[in-house]
Amino acid sequence: MNLVHNAVGIMTPFLLAAIGGLFTQIAGMLNIALEGLMLIGAFVAVASTAATGSLFFGIAAGVSVSVIVAYLFGTVSLKLRANIFVSGLATNLLATGLTAVLSFRFFANKGVIRFPGIPRLPVLSAQALRRIPIAGDIFFGHHILVYVSWFLLAAAAVVIYRTPFGLRLRATGHQRSTIVSLGLKPERYQMQAILISGFTCGLAGSALTLNLSAYVPNITAGRGWIALVVIYLGNKTPLGILVASFVFGFAEALSNYAQGALEIPAEFILAFPYLITVTAMVIYSIWRRRRAA
Amino acid sequence: MAGMSGLAITLGASLVIAIVLFLLLSRDPRTTIFYFFAGPFTNKLSVGTMLNAAIPLIFTGLGISVAFKAAVFNIGGEGQIYAGAVATTAVCLALPHVPGVLGGLIAVVAGAAAGALLAGLSGLLKMKWDTDVLISTFLVSGAAILIINYIITGPLDDPESSLLATRKIAERFRLPFIFRPSKLDVSVFFALIAAVLIHLFLRYTHRGYELRMTGANPEFARYGGINVSMYLVMPLMLSGALHGAGGAFLVAGTHHMALKGFTSGMGWNGIAVALIAKNHPLAVVPAALFFAYLSTGADAAMLRSDVTYEIVAIIQASIFYLVTAQALYGFVRSRRRVPK
Repeated sequence: MNLVHNAVGIMTPFLLAAIGGLFTQIAGMLNIALEGLMLIGAFVAVASTAATGSLFFGIAAGVSVSVIVAYLFGTVSLKLRANIFVSGLATNLLATGLTAVLSFRFFANKGVIRFPGIPRLPVLSAQALRRIPIAGDIFFGHHILVYVSWFLLAAAAVVIYRTPFGLRLRATGHQRSTIVSLGLKPERYQMQAILISGFTCGLAGSALTLNLSAYVPNITAGRGWIALVVIYLGNKTPLGILVASFVFGFAEALSNYAQGALEIPAEFILAFPYLITVTAMVIYSIWRRRRAA
Repeated sequence: MAGMSGLAITLGASLVIAIVLFLLLSRDPRTTIFYFFAGPFTNKLSVGTMLNAAIPLIFTGLGISVAFKAAVFNIGGEGQIYAGAVATTAVCLALPHVPGVLGGLIAVVAGAAAGALLAGLSGLLKMKWDTDVLISTFLVSGAAILIINYIITGPLDDPESSLLATRKIAERFRLPFIFRPSKLDVSVFFALIAAVLIHLFLRYTHRGYELRMTGANPEFARYGGINVSMYLVMPLMLSGALHGAGGAFLVAGTHHMALKGFTSGMGWNGIAVALIAKNHPLAVVPAALFFAYLSTGADAAMLRSDVTYEIVAIIQASIFYLVTAQALYGFVRSRRRVPK
């Protein structure tokens, strides 16, 4: 059952990015900048951890820079009324450029940068509990950001469904005119949602690089896009994205395992979740059409 | 040409951003700036490389323009150009005894068909069940990229080469180079012809008119008796075919084989090109050239000075931000109205 254990580790960046993406999705925006926000966070977190010797400051720096870039993305999209899809693409490009340029400037290297001496993410080892079948694999032996992601998911569920902010956010996405007629500004809630996505993507990026103690160019490798797919597959609900990110995490864990052991090419296993999501979307559209009829 | 001055300001501003970046990042900014701006014109190789780099961008830019004109959001361009490239390669490798011209034609058609099928699938899903095109084109493309990676490194892999690439296609299927020592080849003419044809199609044909109408206002189009659901599928197939053809010419003209990930980024850049061109097929050509100029300039600056190539991504990002920021254009327009 090591597969399940690995899947839980692998799914964490998907889940973290998807939590932020859930907020923007609920506020009626297609946030494709998740990828770029995650990449910036990943680079800054590991470089700052190396510079300060502190995980806390490293993660804080990664998250802050990611939020700052999210603010730029939000300003262009909302204040300057850019097409959010295009400004999202721009943010992803900016992240690719910025991480390469900074890496070249500060480390004279734009390939893999190793930081062997930096502190590692603390792991909840709990040896005895890990031996419990399945539950031990799922719940124990992970690094701290895994547990942070679960906490944030629960917090997101509460905020979205049980607070005035969540209600207004949902109204912004669902029926913008209601918010306007109440004298509230939908852009304000959308900006807050974008900043939240910057925060969780910063954490998602930190989880990637701090787990490796290294920065690899373009380390996110489409994970932000997968997070977007996770939101759709999870039917835009907190519980749904938890399950959906596990599906993607499990597929990736399986493909790592398959490279040596199975007959199926790893790429097919990696392609599988995309195909599941298309199928799920089609089934959902058929169901919606039947219900409407 | 009301949009032109706004566009000129955008492109000018992006070049100013480039200069500022070089002043900040380079120890010898004068050399860097010189090679970035003049580098693409310093020798025949650079000029040819720049023109050659524009070819796939013209195809992807056209593909996106057609889709956006019909208001269908095809963001699966990355997978469609890659599918076109690999289909062309596979056909060339599988056709041993066919004469060059015929085989080449079949191969390019196969490439375009591969792109069209990939994009058309999303159109079909939209038509039948109203599945969101933007997400489904992306997903289908995402899955296709992974499977094509497997095809290139698995069944089609050249065991004698250490590259993650297929075997080279036969000499007779390769398009002639026209500007040695660069890799510019005759496919540049095909790209220009494609731009003109798409322009004529959209502007002067019945179907082109219906496509634009459907894109501009589907309700109005339906009311006018246009078969709206057909214009969900057809523009996507055409868009996919153009992406596929871009991949096909990349193989037949430049690389002569398919390499893992070698079209990566061309689909996204096609969106940028279409955006700068405001979806006008003829304007796609200069927009693609401008993009190619930026990347060739960045290459030259990296080669001759101390900055890294990826700086071009930051410049492109600022162009994106500026081009799409409606409020800025509104500002330009309102300023102009004041004196009247």
